[in-house]
Amino acid sequence: MSVKAKLILGTAVLLGLIIMPPFLDAGWQNALNTMLIASLFALSFNLLAGQAGLLSFGHAAYFGIGAFAALHLMQAIEDGLPIATPLLPLAGALAGLIAGVCAGWFATMRSGVYFALVTLAIAELFHSFAPHLKNLFGGESGISGMRMPWAGFNFGTVLEVYYLTLAWVIVCTALLWAYTRTPFGRLTLALRDNEQRVLFMGYDAHIAKTVIFAVSAMFSGVAGALQAMSNETANYALFASHVSAQVVLYTYVGGATLFFGPVFGAVAFTLFAFLVSDLTRSWLFYQGLIFVLVMLYAPNGIGGAIAYHVRHWRELNWSRLAQPYGIALIGGMLVTAGVVFVTETVSILFGLEYENLRGNAEGGFPEFALLGGTWSPTSPITWALPASLLIGGIWLIRKAIKQINDTQDDNRELDDSVTDKEGVQA
Amino acid sequence: MRGRNKDRERRDIRKTRRKSLKHILKTTAAAAALVVAAPAVHAEPLKIGIIESLSGAQTSTGRLFAAGVKFGIDQINAEGGFNGEPIEVVEYDNAGGATEAADKFRQAAADGVNIVIQGASSAIAGQITEDVRKHNIRNPGNEILFMNIGAEAMELTGEKCHFYHFRFTTTAPMRVNALTNAMGQAGELGTKVMSMNQNYSWGQDMQAAIAAAAENNNYQVVDEVLHDVNKIQDFAPFVARIKSAEPDTVITGNWSNDLLLLMKASGDAGLDVRFGTAFLDQPGNLANAGATALGHYIANNYDNSAGSEEFAEEYKSAIGHYPRFVEPQAAFAAGMLGEALAGLDFGGGEVNVTDIALALENAAYESPIGTISVRAEDHQTIRPVVVSKVVENATYPADDTEMGFQSVAVVPAEQAIYPVQESCSMERPG
Amino acid sequence: MEFLIISTLNGVIYGLLLFMVSAGLTLIFGMMGILNFAHASFYMLGAYLAYALSPIIGFWGGILVAPLLVGLFGMLTERYLLRRVHAHGHAHELLLTFGLALIIAEVVKLFFGDFPVAYQIPDDLRFAAFSVFGTDYPFYRVFIGTVAVAMFVVLWLLLSRTRVGIVVRAAERLPEIAEALGHNIPVVFMCVFGAGAALAGLAGAVAGAFYPTNPNMAAELGVIVFVVVVVGGLGSLKGSLLASLLIGLFSSFAVGIDLSLANLLGLIGLGDWARSVGGLLTTEVSSISGTIPFALMLLVLLVRPAGLMGERN
Repeated sequence: MSVKAKLILGTAVLLGLIIMPPFLDAGWQNALNTMLIASLFALSFNLLAGQAGLLSFGHAAYFGIGAFAALHLMQAIEDGLPIATPLLPLAGALAGLIAGVCAGWFATMRSGVYFALVTLAIAELFHSFAPHLKNLFGGESGISGMRMPWAGFNFGTVLEVYYLTLAWVIVCTALLWAYTRTPFGRLTLALRDNEQRVLFMGYDAHIAKTVIFAVSAMFSGVAGALQAMSNETANYALFASHVSAQVVLYTYVGGATLFFGPVFGAVAFTLFAFLVSDLTRSWLFYQGLIFVLVMLYAPNGIGGAIAYHVRHWRELNWSRLAQPYGIALIGGMLVTAGVVFVTETVSILFGLEYENLRGNAEGGFPEFALLGGTWSPTSPITWALPASLLIGGIWLIRKAIKQINDTQDDNRELDDSVTDKEGVQA
Repeated sequence: MRGRNKDRERRDIRKTRRKSLKHILKTTAAAAALVVAAPAVHAEPLKIGIIESLSGAQTSTGRLFAAGVKFGIDQINAEGGFNGEPIEVVEYDNAGGATEAADKFRQAAADGVNIVIQGASSAIAGQITEDVRKHNIRNPGNEILFMNIGAEAMELTGEKCHFYHFRFTTTAPMRVNALTNAMGQAGELGTKVMSMNQNYSWGQDMQAAIAAAAENNNYQVVDEVLHDVNKIQDFAPFVARIKSAEPDTVITGNWSNDLLLLMKASGDAGLDVRFGTAFLDQPGNLANAGATALGHYIANNYDNSAGSEEFAEEYKSAIGHYPRFVEPQAAFAAGMLGEALAGLDFGGGEVNVTDIALALENAAYESPIGTISVRAEDHQTIRPVVVSKVVENATYPADDTEMGFQSVAVVPAEQAIYPVQESCSMERPG
Repeated sequence: MEFLIISTLNGVIYGLLLFMVSAGLTLIFGMMGILNFAHASFYMLGAYLAYALSPIIGFWGGILVAPLLVGLFGMLTERYLLRRVHAHGHAHELLLTFGLALIIAEVVKLFFGDFPVAYQIPDDLRFAAFSVFGTDYPFYRVFIGTVAVAMFVVLWLLLSRTRVGIVVRAAERLPEIAEALGHNIPVVFMCVFGAGAALAGLAGAVAGAFYPTNPNMAAELGVIVFVVVVVGGLGSLKGSLLASLLIGLFSSFAVGIDLSLANLLGLIGLGDWARSVGGLLTTEVSSISGTIPFALMLLVLLVRPAGLMGERN
């Protein structure tokens, strides 16, 4: 994708983020806010995981520390400290940086799986000790504060908080992007690809890795601070393993090889949670399923898949691919429908309410309501429908994949034949 | 080619004419309807948001709270609702986390909810009550009320108390006082009591309450333990500790695994000790503990064996099972709201939440075991506490077993209540 | 004295339980370099399957069949899931097992609900094995310990004395050479993974009747199992046994220790100051007994990542 095209796209997205929110309702504004924070967290995580190749399973620690630092500053401002409210995330950055330096120094002594385990242990230690340290972490109920007005802004509405978050996320994203363009940013990639070579070039890999860890932790701290600013409270649950897990999910589903990949993942999952969590009680299952499917079939994530298509824009035979992609899409929808149907059915049939229904019907198998219709568990239709959806969907997807492979093979043959004729690569 | 286009054009023109004709007819009809129906103005429904743990670790408890509330609200709606409309109830899933709860609260506020209800987890209640307080400061005239139907941390009616929060459940001192009182009177308390609790606000509240009740009930606290919450797999070492302290009774506020494992471990060790608990009636406990559970005590908001058959049967026919665990207190809270609403009339106009809060302060609900009223100083409900014992062949068996709870005493509300905490300084509106 | 003996017994038994679960994990890691996040989920599956099967084929039937089913599931996981992401590197394998753990936990919740299920020891096994200072020691605990010890012995004999064991050890050391010698290494990997899963499943089936069987049991045990495996040395069976016993004993004894850093500082006269500072200095060992294994893991990882008995690499 040319630089011009990227600039246009970027500007469009930015304009959209700036102009649209006042026209959305507060629920959506809040969701956008959450998406921005999640994106920043994922981007900072990817600095360590995708670019430096150091998979950290305990990044919640720095997110949490940033949040608590911001809250302490918020409370200090409430008590009279003359610092502008919009500068709160700086406290998060500082705390994240310091924690990152300390933790990173030790963690980067190891690599691979051991590194991951060290980061896990550090996060777990924070999680276990935080409830005992009442002054720092407010015990089990945490600390809370209130955003103080500054320069005429009250920061009382979701919209104002959103714009503040947006400003910070834009600045931090720009900084992270600039980082990748510096020589040190290149060194980061080099460390991932071949650490020994880097050592041979004379760099101290341990110090370099510590710096990278600290930078990543700093931006995670900013993300945590933004969340603390938005929620006005934080408690030790921010250090829990599932927060670390979430950022890993966002990054890898979005694609760790692309700079904006994690943003895709963060937005997708946050949107998914926003839309689906109140519709069904099994949404965590769907989330896990999506993650595993992406890991299996799109190892470079959504972002990676998009990047592939963008990169090969001219080479791909779009007219021939349109049909199999369409078929795959339909197949995907069928499979999704089938999976949702089965999951919801199982959830209902094995749930407490159904047990009560059965109790009232004296042990029979009464009908249940699902997606607007009533179904009977003993009727073959109830099982034939999802089965046919699944089988049909999978068959369509396989057919589409075969067609896509055929297209690519044909392309390759064409390239080869051209090469043969001209003796150079066409 | 052109011919085809022209046909299409003609068809389109006809469609457009038909469309505009339809459009005119529709608009006229609508206008007529409006003119006719003008007097019948659309009334403002009361909107309630249940922000509960509907997925995640505490799901079972969260869903029971939601069920109890819906039962109560359905009863109000069956009698005509409020303000000319049925009360609307929306569920929000906080997945057991305070951050998600904050998110859902903002969602609920955006959806125009007037009352927020929550009960599973004091941490989440702490988050919501602060969010409600700040929202009310920032949106005068558009306040939201928080009905806390299950979070028992003392600070919610202490440091964190504010006018728009009401607690519709017991607290640690209420449970401990009732428990020690009743067990003492039944001669099953003994003179040596051990406190075994989880190391967080609730457990610490329990520990403090157990120590405070020692003098009045003639016992001595022989040992106090605070352990990690929901992390311990093997309680045998704790049982060994109980053994060495040699208490007659162990009082514990443990819930879920922590309670279950503790009781199983003590049963396996053949420990001859009585347990006084707060959450033994959590679904699954009796089935899992088995015969070990027999003879132990619980102090809670309600037990079917102490209340009226009527309530139990009514609940069963509406929901499908006898009320269990936290469902009664949720239903009573909704009932109390109904009492408060009955005395209010907004004439179909905007709902004034401050008035509802003021009405709640003066409401008195007749539950099957006694009157529940609100204490204006900290918005804690003054309510009776039931003390029960696990027996064989119970009237209301639990968990598909033969065992169940049999009430031993109902401590009257005035006796059960605890003094207002000094840390609560409530600002009243206006 | 009584406290000492009981705590030792309890610690050993709990340690043996940890060993049952971590044995499979350390074996799989040593052989395939995969740290299986879903291993504790296999433990949970074993417990739930045994619970679901025991009404049909009896308690012992459940204990025999559940591990086999979990082993089969493990083999299928390795064959169809892990092998597919193997090409993309260790990180992806780790992430896949991670996602798998999430899914298994949710599926269990779908079918069995969110609260503990009543998976019980049959009444005829509920007796005391012996009595120590007036406290009964339940037979079933001893049974768990026996199963764990038997498992260790069988594994050790299998690995060191049989042909199959030699092939497995060769595949762990130099898989390409072993393949060049004609052994079907992918099948070996699949079977080892399945065996590891089956071991965890057996642990679940046996222990689930004693400890509550609930959807959180994987998360609860999972982290401790990691600690055990790391402290013992990734890949070392003996190390795993040693570490499990260590952690089991420690967890058991720590409960009775009401000392804190303040007490320690009190020895040099700084006790009152420490108590006034509060926070970490006055936290008693007993209330953070579940936390200290993590500190231990961190220490081991930083000081001697090979663990107690692992190989240095």
